Amino acid sequence: MTTISISGLRKSFGPNEVLRGLDLEIPPGEFVGLMGPNGAGKSTLLKILGGIYRADAGELRYGEERVASLAERPEVGFIHQDLGLIDDLDIVANLRLGEPPMRILGPLLDARRERKEAREAIERVGLNIAVETQVGELAPGEKALVAVARLLQRGASVLFIDEATSTLPPQDARRLISSLTATAGKGATVVMVSHKLSEILDATQRVVVILDGKIAADARSADLDRDELARMVVARETRGERPRRTRGPGQEEVLRMRAACAGRAGPVDLAVHRAEVVGLTGLAGSGLHDVAYMAAGAVSCRSGEVTVATGVRRAMVPPNRESQGGFADLSTAANMTLSALSDWRRPGRLLNGRAERRDVVEMVERLDVRPPDPEAEFGTLSGGNKQKVIFGRVLFRRPGLYILCEPTRGVDVATRADLYHLIDELREDGAGILVVTSDFEDLFAVCDRISVVESGRPGEFLSVDETTAEQLEAFI
Amino acid sequence: MSANASVADPPAPDRTPAGEGRKGARGAAATAFSSKRFQGSITFLAFIAIFIGYGLWLGEKFANIDARALDIHQNTPVLLLGLAVLVTLIAGQFDLSVASMATLTTYLVIGLKVNQGWPFALVLGVCILIGLIGGLVNGLLVVRCHVNTFIATLGTGGIFAGLASVYGKGGQLAPTGDSHQLPSWFSGTTSLGGFGEKFPAVVLWIGLCAVAVFLFLALRRLRPPGRSEAVWTAVSAAIVAVLAVLALTVLKIQHYVDAVSWTIGILIVVAVLLWTLLDHTTYGRYLRAVGSNAEAARLAGVKPGKETIKAFVLGGLLASFAGILLGANQGSASPEVAAGFLLPAFAAAFLSTVVLSTGRFNVWGTLIGGIFLVWVGQGLVVGGVPFTWTGVVNGFVLVLAVAISTVLRRRGAGR
Ligand SMILES: Nc1ncnc2c1ncn2[C@@H]1O[C@H](COP(=O)(O)OP(=O)(O)OP(=O)(O)O)[C@@H](O)[C@H]1O
Ligand SMILES: [Mg+2]
Repeated sequence: MTTISISGLRKSFGPNEVLRGLDLEIPPGEFVGLMGPNGAGKSTLLKILGGIYRADAGELRYGEERVASLAERPEVGFIHQDLGLIDDLDIVANLRLGEPPMRILGPLLDARRERKEAREAIERVGLNIAVETQVGELAPGEKALVAVARLLQRGASVLFIDEATSTLPPQDARRLISSLTATAGKGATVVMVSHKLSEILDATQRVVVILDGKIAADARSADLDRDELARMVVARETRGERPRRTRGPGQEEVLRMRAACAGRAGPVDLAVHRAEVVGLTGLAGSGLHDVAYMAAGAVSCRSGEVTVATGVRRAMVPPNRESQGGFADLSTAANMTLSALSDWRRPGRLLNGRAERRDVVEMVERLDVRPPDPEAEFGTLSGGNKQKVIFGRVLFRRPGLYILCEPTRGVDVATRADLYHLIDELREDGAGILVVTSDFEDLFAVCDRISVVESGRPGEFLSVDETTAEQLEAFI
Repeated sequence: MSANASVADPPAPDRTPAGEGRKGARGAAATAFSSKRFQGSITFLAFIAIFIGYGLWLGEKFANIDARALDIHQNTPVLLLGLAVLVTLIAGQFDLSVASMATLTTYLVIGLKVNQGWPFALVLGVCILIGLIGGLVNGLLVVRCHVNTFIATLGTGGIFAGLASVYGKGGQLAPTGDSHQLPSWFSGTTSLGGFGEKFPAVVLWIGLCAVAVFLFLALRRLRPPGRSEAVWTAVSAAIVAVLAVLALTVLKIQHYVDAVSWTIGILIVVAVLLWTLLDHTTYGRYLRAVGSNAEAARLAGVKPGKETIKAFVLGGLLASFAGILLGANQGSASPEVAAGFLLPAFAAAFLSTVVLSTGRFNVWGTLIGGIFLVWVGQGLVVGGVPFTWTGVVNGFVLVLAVAISTVLRRRGAGR
């Protein structure tokens, strides 16, 4: 068992100083929660430890030994924010990546044993899908579980996990965390990045908060309550108390689905009214996101129909941020304005770059995107900031119907509050909003009616005011 | 630091007042801008260094405006093909059929006049139409039939080249004493295709003035925080004025203007139009989005299939243009005239990602990259290296330039 000590760690990307002399010591067998606002440098820290980035300065010690990274150690395992899975390979192949091959004879691989072990590994994390499935076809939550299965299968005893729970519904998240706690109980070191206060408080022994590239707080979890922790991680003013809602949902339907079927979903019957927020939740693999694609018109229905009120525009925040959400090599500005480009078109059909830039700067400020640079490449943004940029794109489109999949995935505590605020405002302005999420907090914070999707169809709709999280979980 | 160190003071909530954020945005943008510009100019400067080396080594034989302009003139079709390839590359596709399309339209532009004796306007119309149709076929194959872009365009390329060969009966096509003649404005020494006929200088001067104004506006926008508006405007104007005077006196820019033939002038006009389309219209943005992540583009409301087909059609159009100009330059069509243009065309388009910008395909980089490639090869030819080495030099320069720039950029990103 070895202590990991980090001292004076520095890392800049061009002019952007991300880590500014970070000191941290992680004794063996500790379960550490790592928190901090979006863009604080949490993922960067993990990537340096994992050997993906090279630190500019500073020292890393593993026990007594000075090392450049922990990448080569067999007992150290990472789940980075982008999960590090290969979409074009199936689950078996992904689980075997970087492992010594199982052979029958010479170079021939023992495919049967590989499949069997893969099946066991994913069952251990509670996944129940064919191991021949391509990873690219999985829902975000399922992908996260595959990544965890891979890590646990390796029997790593030092685990670094970057927001693996952000796409998981509460039960899966709890199962994952309890398996992590169990591993930690057997003497493993676990460092987990998360923006969910309750997770951190329940599972970890120690909370470390990174702010402006340094450790801003370091405390025993047991000594903290939720409010205290929230105050520690919220580095800026949020928009304060949300106002009471002034009106109930309208009568007019903006979206109506009748026995609509596509992908794993259907038949779906569903209506969203003006000034109404409808929430859907469900397990990974329940066809939850297929309902969203249908509602957004991103897939056409096999049968049934989806109608949108005339003249109502739709816009969607897709569930997979990297593969469906953004354009890695384009700028923040280009990413944000894509869906509403004609708004910046001059009479001569040329784009008015200056007006576009001005509006983007405003939006960047409104959503607190870091770095606040319209030219920053989307691919280099931190996870939460990517989410904000995609949100910005949807807002620029000014639709009458919003389809928001995992809207608060990976955003920090303050931004989460801001986004709830924003959704309230959109509702006040009369938009219909369909929130499709695995995060119960979203449901209770902004929705009027909620329902659980099971084997592709939403169940009975419940009014949020009359539902508790326990009741909801019982449905899943 | 021990594991249970005390809680640090909670940070003040008003860490980032709105005003500071805005200033941060400007500052960060300005710095990123300058550092990117710096990275982007390394390859450019390396090329310039090579040319200075050539100049010192070969003297007047290389450092000769007319000779170098003649290089450009003769390679205009290649550069146009570079632009054709560029459009599809931005959409994330490879169009390997452009060179064959150029060969085909060269045959048609010569043959339909010389053999069939069609009115020349009709001939040009047909050539352009063939380019559009060829591009459309490529686009439909790739988008609607989901044929891999390499296979589809290799196949159609074979067809285009084959059609040219069938039409030309496998041989050369050229006007003879008793055939119909090409219009005198189209081909010949004192024509569109000849180097002797110069592009109207007025147009070029107007263009240069536009560039100066553009530069002035760009400079003015880079005003460092804290400088007064009026002073900075004056400074910008002064900088542009000094640059203009230098260009006129030291560089003797009028000589360059005098060296621009009709062919080069047309190339510049096409490039300006294409640059406007790709960088200043919604279409260009959609295309870049599709090339970057087609699925995300689709979910954001762009129609990737439609935009991709348009890109192939535009590529076909530019390729047919290249073929027509090739016909004008040569006054005849010979088998596989444009076949050897494919590598340099791709080389030019890829150089654009490292010559003038970091990692983005762009119009001006393609032109400059293509021209630099030609000059690097030509310098060796002038210096006595056999002409047959051109292919080796082209490949070498391309791989080296892209490799060096990529390594530098990754180093910059700290990988
Ligand atoms: N490859 C890169 N190139 C340039 N900048 C980068 C790169 N990777 C990260 N950054 C910048 O470093 C900063 C920290 O990013 P990081 O991903 O570590 O944040 P984070 O704390 O994990 O945030 P989040 O909670 O949103 O995931 C961000 O401002 C980001 O833009
Ligand atoms: Mg992160």
